[in-house]
Amino acid sequence: MIKIQNKDIDVETVFESVKSPSSGGVVTFLGTVRDNAKGHNVEQMSIEVYEEMAYKQLEAIESEAQEKFGVHKIAVVHRYGDLKVGDNIVFIAVAAGHREEAFDACRYIIDELKQRVPILKKETTPEGEIWVEGEKHE
Amino acid sequence: MEINVRYFGQFRDFTGKREESLQVADGITVEAIREHVRGIYPKIAAKEQVLVAVNGNFGPLDQVINESDEVAFFPPVSGG
Repeated sequence: MIKIQNKDIDVETVFESVKSPSSGGVVTFLGTVRDNAKGHNVEQMSIEVYEEMAYKQLEAIESEAQEKFGVHKIAVVHRYGDLKVGDNIVFIAVAAGHREEAFDACRYIIDELKQRVPILKKETTPEGEIWVEGEKHE
Repeated sequence: MEINVRYFGQFRDFTGKREESLQVADGITVEAIREHVRGIYPKIAAKEQVLVAVNGNFGPLDQVINESDEVAFFPPVSGG
């Protein structure tokens, strides 16, 4: 399940949606708004998304993770819009037969998301607004 | 031909636009349209990395762009 939404993430519901009797574990990652970055304070965050492409890329990443690691179910929910410190940004849940593939797939998904899903963050700091520079795209 | 180009993130600030139509040569490649846009906007030209997506995918630099394609420009992404 892939979702890009403005509203908060219902972590519990998403978590429950990936569980199944054949899965021996669920690994999750929850990304939240931090109150600091690179030595400056962060007061709030604004997230912009190129939605059509983001869905396309996330669906591709989901298929790749399923194929590479043989996991059972994957959910990725990412937010856009104006967020406060501590708010949820992204939630990933991966259910698999065993922990190794669940951890590996979860890590793969967040790393790929940070490389190729067109989502752009802007921080509001006491010194003004700063666009967050992503890691260099390979 | 005319190509519809969209700008995201900081590039929207740099261009002052969400999208625009650009008049370009037929058969233009990803690399050439990137140079074209760098030529119009010095602030984009100054960026070390300029990502170009065609129809929602990162294609090779020699990919040829067609009139009906949607081309998007943005800096390295920062989701997650």
